[in-house]
Amino acid sequence: MPQYRLMYFNIRARAETSRMIFAAAGVEYEDVRVAREQWPAEKASGKYPFGQMPCLEIDGKFTLAQSRAIGRYLANEYGLAGKDNLEKAKVDMVIYVCEDIYVGVRNIFFEKDETKKAEMKADFVVKADSILAALEKLLIANNGGNGYLVGDSLTWADLEFFVRMEYAPFFNAAILDQYPKLKALAERVSSVPEIAAWLKKRPKTDF
Amino acid sequence: MSQGISPLADALVSCSNARRDTSRSAMPTYKLTYFDLRGRAEPSRLLFAVAGVEYEDVRIQREQWPNEKASGKYPFGQMPVLEVDGQVIAQSIAIARYLANEFGLAGKTNLEKAKVDMIVDAIGDVSKGLGEMWFANDEAKKAEAKEKCLTKTIPTTFTGLEKILMTNNGGDGFFVGDSLTMADLIFLAHTDYHVDQLKEENTMAAFPKLTALRERILAQPSVKQWVEARPKTKI
Repeated sequence: MPQYRLMYFNIRARAETSRMIFAAAGVEYEDVRVAREQWPAEKASGKYPFGQMPCLEIDGKFTLAQSRAIGRYLANEYGLAGKDNLEKAKVDMVIYVCEDIYVGVRNIFFEKDETKKAEMKADFVVKADSILAALEKLLIANNGGNGYLVGDSLTWADLEFFVRMEYAPFFNAAILDQYPKLKALAERVSSVPEIAAWLKKRPKTDF
Repeated sequence: MSQGISPLADALVSCSNARRDTSRSAMPTYKLTYFDLRGRAEPSRLLFAVAGVEYEDVRIQREQWPNEKASGKYPFGQMPVLEVDGQVIAQSIAIARYLANEFGLAGKTNLEKAKVDMIVDAIGDVSKGLGEMWFANDEAKKAEAKEKCLTKTIPTTFTGLEKILMTNNGGDGFFVGDSLTMADLIFLAHTDYHVDQLKEENTMAAFPKLTALRERILAQPSVKQWVEARPKTKI
C-alpha cells in the first residue's frame, strides 16, 4: 500500500472529496493540515508544483497537485471512478458541474461586504437551482434515481456532490427539498458506514 | 470456417468470429457541438485529429444558440457537448478526457494520467484568469484581473509547468511519458491565446522549454494538418 500524505489547510473546501474517497475506500493516509501561519514557509519550500494546496505526496517520491487530478487518481486506484470510459466521462461531467457550485459558494463565503454578499447569494440561488435541476434529471435517468449518480454503485461523483451540498446553508439550507432524489442521494451517501464514520471523526471546520 | 475439432467447436468459433466482425464495423459515431470557435472545443478537435478519428464537427451560430439551448438537448444548458452512440457528455474537459482515454492519448498508467490531469487543470486556471481579464464587467475589474494574470497566475503556473516538463527526460519531449498526450494538446490550444492575444505582453518569453514544446506539437503531422485545415476563428 503506498504511503500517502494529503496536504491542505484545515478546511474542507478542495480536499474534502479526496478525504472522503480515502474513507470510502478504507485506505490509510496522513491527513496533513497546514496552519495558515505555516503556509508561507511551506510554499517557499518549492515542494508544491504550483505553489498551492491540496497536494498528494505518494511514497515520499512524487507530489501530485490539483484537487480534481488527486481525486480522480485515488478514485481510479480504488474503484470509485466509474466502470468504463463512458461512465468515467459522466462522473467527470458531474465533477466539473459541482465545481461551479463550489466556486459560487466560496465567493459568497469570503465576501466581506454584506450588501454585495446578499446580492451574490440571490444570484447564486438561481444558478444553483438550474444546476440542481439538471443533476436531478441526470440522477433520475440513471435507473429511476434511487441509486447513485452514475452506474450502479458509489463513485466519487456522489462524494463530490455530497461535499458541495454541505455548503447549502451558505445560500439556501433547504434547497434540496425541491430535489427529492438528490436529497435522498445525499442521505444515502452519508449513511455509507465508512462515510458516516468519517463525518463523525473529522475535524469540524467552518468551511 | 471448419476447425475440424468438433461441430460444437466449429459453431463456437464461427459465432465468435461473427461477434468480432460486428464489433469491427461498429466504430462509434461521434458528434461534437459547439460555437464556431476554437474555445472549449478545440482540445477535443485536436484529439480527433491526432487519433485520426472521424467525427461531425457541428458549429452553432450565435443567433441559433438561444433556440438550441431551449431545446433541452444540452444537459447543463451549455456547449460543447459530445454525442457518442446516443449518449450525451457535457463539460469540455470531461469530453476531452473521454476521447483521450478512448484513443490512448490520456497517459499510460493511473499515475501518468494523474500527471496529465494536473497539467490540464493548471492550464485551466490560466484560461480562467484570461477569461476574467477579457470578460470583466468594468474597467477597474478588468485592470485588476489583468494585473493578477500577468504578475501572478501566468508566471506561477508556467514556472510550474516548465519545471514539470524538465523533469520528464530534460524537457525535450512531451509533458508526460514518452509520447503526445492531451496535456500537450490542451497546452497547444491554450497557448494560441498567448501567441495571438498576448503577443505584446510576451508571456511565453521566460519559458524556453514550453516554447519549444509548443513548436514540437505544432510540427506533428496530424496537428499541422488540422491547424492548416480548420476554420480560422479569432478565438
